[in-house]
Amino acid sequence: MSNMLLSQLLRLFNKTNCSVCSKRYSDVKVKSKDVDPFMVPYSNSPKDQQRLYVWGMAEHGALGDLKIRSRERNIQFIYRPVRMRFAYSHKIMDLACGYGFTVYAVDSNQYKLFGCGLNTDSQIGYHDPRKGYPLGLILATVPIQLPLEQLNTKVKAVAAGRAHTLVLTNTDDVYALGSNCYGQCGRPIIENEDYTKLRNVNSITLDDGIAKIICGQDHSLFITKTGKVYSCGWGADGQTGLGHYNNEFHPTVIEGDIKGQTIVKVVSSADCVLALNDKGEVFGWGNSEYGQLLLNDDKYQVNIPRNLPLKKSIGKIIDIGTTGSACIVLNDEGVVYVWGFGILGKGPEINRSREPTPIPPILFGRNQYNTETKVKSVSCSLFHMAAITTEGNLYTWGKNKWGQLGLGHTKDQYFPLQVSVGASVKKVSCGVDHMAALCKPYQ
Amino acid sequence: MNYLSNSEKAFKLLNGIVCLYKPAGVSLKGCRHSLLLKLCQDLNSMDVRPPENRVIISGDTTKSLEVKLEPSYADNVLVVGPRYQSKDLKCIWTTHLGMRVSGVCVMGLNKGTKMVRHLQENYPLRTYHLHGQLGIMTKNMHIDGQVVEKGRFDFVKRENIDKLMSTIQASNQKKMFHLAKVDTQTQMAYDLATKGLIRPTSSNEPLIYGIKCISLELPNFVIEVNVINEYESYLLSLVHEIGLKLRCSATCTALRCIRYSSFNINQALLMKHWNLQYVLDNIKECNSSYDKINHLSAFVAEQSQLETNQNMTSV
Repeated sequence: MSNMLLSQLLRLFNKTNCSVCSKRYSDVKVKSKDVDPFMVPYSNSPKDQQRLYVWGMAEHGALGDLKIRSRERNIQFIYRPVRMRFAYSHKIMDLACGYGFTVYAVDSNQYKLFGCGLNTDSQIGYHDPRKGYPLGLILATVPIQLPLEQLNTKVKAVAAGRAHTLVLTNTDDVYALGSNCYGQCGRPIIENEDYTKLRNVNSITLDDGIAKIICGQDHSLFITKTGKVYSCGWGADGQTGLGHYNNEFHPTVIEGDIKGQTIVKVVSSADCVLALNDKGEVFGWGNSEYGQLLLNDDKYQVNIPRNLPLKKSIGKIIDIGTTGSACIVLNDEGVVYVWGFGILGKGPEINRSREPTPIPPILFGRNQYNTETKVKSVSCSLFHMAAITTEGNLYTWGKNKWGQLGLGHTKDQYFPLQVSVGASVKKVSCGVDHMAALCKPYQ
Repeated sequence: MNYLSNSEKAFKLLNGIVCLYKPAGVSLKGCRHSLLLKLCQDLNSMDVRPPENRVIISGDTTKSLEVKLEPSYADNVLVVGPRYQSKDLKCIWTTHLGMRVSGVCVMGLNKGTKMVRHLQENYPLRTYHLHGQLGIMTKNMHIDGQVVEKGRFDFVKRENIDKLMSTIQASNQKKMFHLAKVDTQTQMAYDLATKGLIRPTSSNEPLIYGIKCISLELPNFVIEVNVINEYESYLLSLVHEIGLKLRCSATCTALRCIRYSSFNINQALLMKHWNLQYVLDNIKECNSSYDKINHLSAFVAEQSQLETNQNMTSV
């Protein structure tokens, strides 16, 4: 008798508990039987497992809700990778770290886009717990509303700049959120527009269909399915590559040396842009103050794409990256080449290189025991660089003022050093002062 | 493989490195004993040198002497023992593996002892698989010991273990620079790093270069660890400590060395194959892989770096 009573009580308790949990998604009707979507795994299959690790500056909330009471304990930065529970319940398709905020593209039927961090220009949507007073700083990962026409539309990729976000869907639409002060959202610039209370999202479509999106500091770049590159936004250093130094709000096709080439990748973290075509050749435009574009003349700004005169011995390039003052390329043999100014990863004594010079592969873990280890991909932010090897190890180097290298201290690192992530890294996104890595458990 | 029938030819071929699979529960001395015993047995069963005859010269010295050949007892197998004996073969091991450790065991035979010494001087990296069981604690930290504590383990998740592994690896990375006595911010640290793994200057401090959990099926788990200067009790206490850090108890069920330098477990000979024919095959294979790593530039560089290290410490 008492057992029956107890079980009934338990059932009642469970029901009430669930309704409390479901309040987080307040505007969605959740059946009382369902549990909190943040608490259940997105997949029960042991093969379909992923993990999200974040580290760096924590004060502005770009690391999300860390559940370690960072606000109470006044944690300013986290200099070691910490696991986010968010990836346990949401299948992340793509992630992007901007200047103090992070955006996640999620494969789900409900919310497809999540964000956290700085929201001064509505770059992660309009969120007002009190009507008319939108939040400028969001310390938890919150869903972002998109004006999608169909429910089954999926978000394919995201990109984040200084204060704007681009979102690419599988219907080839691009949605732009955030600051449009230089036209980077692809709509006409309005003088003295208040971006803090921005509610509408601008939709961009191109005739060829967009395959990839890239955000620079204050400009946007789009690669179409045919391999053309379109750009809009700030052009003071020629980073739009349109042949002038003015701001451009209408996405315009870039010509110059990349005309007729099939571009597969474009990178830009500040004002220097590198592009890679399908034959492994590199093109560049924008700022060349530190010799990033390998020009012979003393020209610091290039507003039209140029083919970079890389040596034949470097071989076919498969991946590229730019920091604020240096460039990095990866060839098909897995050797990393760097040039420019700043911490290049070749020790504290070499801080400037006019020519692409290789970083010894031994620093990326290739030694007599692991002769097969190669660098698989590289990525860059304003002040630091990162490389992922075929074994899923992450190596970082560069400035480390906010612990964004994840090495356990805030001292600068002058050569690649392995980050202890605790899982095999698949994809990494570098923000200015934080980083996020999407990983898989070791098999 | 052509079968050798001449024992002398076979003996001359027994020069080099042999890679054995040491079973757990047998001491390294015992392994060497049984290897040499079997080799000697095999050599003796082949065509061995016949006993030499004794020459007897007798008779009157003023007349022509009588020369006779007689079978000599001083060279008879029944008197002096078998032609090949264990002490005729030189055999040393590279690093000491404890009683409970199984797996790759690299030994040098005859002239191979020199090669083994050379390998040893290069501080090679070892890879171990540590099998453990959660929820049980024993007195000697191994499963064969007396149980002192039993507890729950169902709260342990893969994420917890991975987090712990990354913490251990990060602290060892810090220790690596500390033991090499360099500051990571300096050019010296970069120069050291470009020469290969940063190795400790002393040979008695264990250092982990990589550690990861490769399987977790509660309550059992397997950890793969790349380590240098390790010893049996260090590995046992590592598993024990992992258990404590996971807020339960753990004990070691097996320690397996799966790689020593570039000699891996696929090359290792099982105990049932410890006979002349397999050992000769193995020596051929191991010697070629030794030559390969010996000619690697990194290997040479590491050696020179070690020398400079030693110079620095002596100054």
